[in-house]
Amino acid sequence: MTNLINQNLISSLISDNDKVLDIGCSSGELLYFLEKTKNIQGQGIEISHVGVKESVSKGLSVIQGDADEDLINFPDSTFDIVILSDTLQATHKPKEVLEQMLRIGKKCIICIPNFGYWKYRLQILFHGVMPVAKTLSEPWYSTPNIHLCTIKDFINLCEHLNISINEAYRNTKDNIKIIKKPKSYLNNLLSTEGIFILTKK
Amino acid sequence: MTGDQFVTGKNPITKRKGWWDNLVGPNKILDTNKYFIICTNVLGGCMGTTGPSSINSATSKPYGMEFPIFTIKDMVNLQLELIKSLSIKKLFSVIGGSMGGMQVLEWAASYPNMLYSAIPIATSYRHSAQNIAFHEVGRQAIMNDPEWHKGNYYNQGNKPRHGLSVARMIAHITYLSEGAFQKKFGRDMQSKVLSWGFDADFQVESYLRHQGTSFVDRFDANSYLYITRAMDYFDLTNKYKGNLDHAFKKTKCKFLIVSFTSDWLFPSSESQSLVKALNKTASDVSYIEIESDKGHDSFLLEVKDFYDILSGFITGVARKLNL
Repeated sequence: MTNLINQNLISSLISDNDKVLDIGCSSGELLYFLEKTKNIQGQGIEISHVGVKESVSKGLSVIQGDADEDLINFPDSTFDIVILSDTLQATHKPKEVLEQMLRIGKKCIICIPNFGYWKYRLQILFHGVMPVAKTLSEPWYSTPNIHLCTIKDFINLCEHLNISINEAYRNTKDNIKIIKKPKSYLNNLLSTEGIFILTKK
Repeated sequence: MTGDQFVTGKNPITKRKGWWDNLVGPNKILDTNKYFIICTNVLGGCMGTTGPSSINSATSKPYGMEFPIFTIKDMVNLQLELIKSLSIKKLFSVIGGSMGGMQVLEWAASYPNMLYSAIPIATSYRHSAQNIAFHEVGRQAIMNDPEWHKGNYYNQGNKPRHGLSVARMIAHITYLSEGAFQKKFGRDMQSKVLSWGFDADFQVESYLRHQGTSFVDRFDANSYLYITRAMDYFDLTNKYKGNLDHAFKKTKCKFLIVSFTSDWLFPSSESQSLVKALNKTASDVSYIEIESDKGHDSFLLEVKDFYDILSGFITGVARKLNL
């Protein structure tokens, strides 16, 4: 997710010179921004050839790889921060990916599209079709998003895996709000996406 | 393997362009206006550095098979001596493809504090069984040529032309890809009528024969034996009980690893194993598989994506070093 709000939020959560892994870094905009503003030691993983090409051409360290397969190679606590932005829903094994992230990173920042957002619920309820929206722009037959979930689903999984959610944020129209009760009915209904800071319990 | 020190400009012996002329030179990606580029001739070769065709001072005759077996590491050690004699403390980057890529990996593993970045291209941390097999066929062609004379052909007035030529023809096939052959030649004929015999009816045959015979004039058969052997013996995991990552434990340089989709001599899976090993040591690594239908030789050719990435990586390394 390369929109400016998330970029600034993620940036505010990162300290200078941190070692950062961005999984599914796309064309590397976020890593590039963080290298410039926070002098991070960045590493990216990206599945698409175009993304890797554009990232490396920017001078970033990015490997062509796959979140499902390649996290396993990194040693424990290699990174200060591991970022998974708008990617979990496209992995084959989201649970394993989440576990690996927390193993290799001291702190994880994760953004997921929220399938529980009211407009998506209404699309199914009234139109009887799979939701298509700005953050879920592909129709069901061509979407790379194979493991969509709601904020509540995600929090349930974290509880199941003994992961602490240190902070949660909501992206609204023009700013980011910190969420006191991320699992609340209203948060799940009103957020287009969830942003979480995770650590091991 | 058969590249020489004339990386760019005109080769004074062959009168041909340097073998990486499209990449190295003023205002090119490896910009000689910005960087001091060093390219050495290879140990055991026949273009200047001591090899089997050099005169053994003890006997005043060419070494031939008396020349000691040497390794990729010996090649790198020799380069290290050159670097020291130039009073260079640390290299900005070590770059190379194929056997050159093996040298890059050897540099990174053996002299981790001597380089800021490593760019191994279309290569592997060890020679595969298939690659050893192809080399063996080439060597057998040379050694079974009656003119080889157990390596002592230098004063015989003749040399194992046929053997070396066949070795080169085989090797040349491995440098291309099925698609590249098909695109370049198809079933195109030399003339409109078939010979109904064994002349070079097809253009691909004629091309290979030319590759073989022209190679004989510029390369020494014994050098070919020794250098192919050095590649066969290369295995970075040897010292580390098969754990490739242990080879890079002390290495802190930035890596850019590049493979090409149609390269079946050094397939992407070899580079991916390397990436995994470097991830295990939490190294700073970039890896991309470039789409190209030109086979192993892609690294010598102008492939736009490859050049863009190389250029970006080098600029990135320079930026990190505040150059």
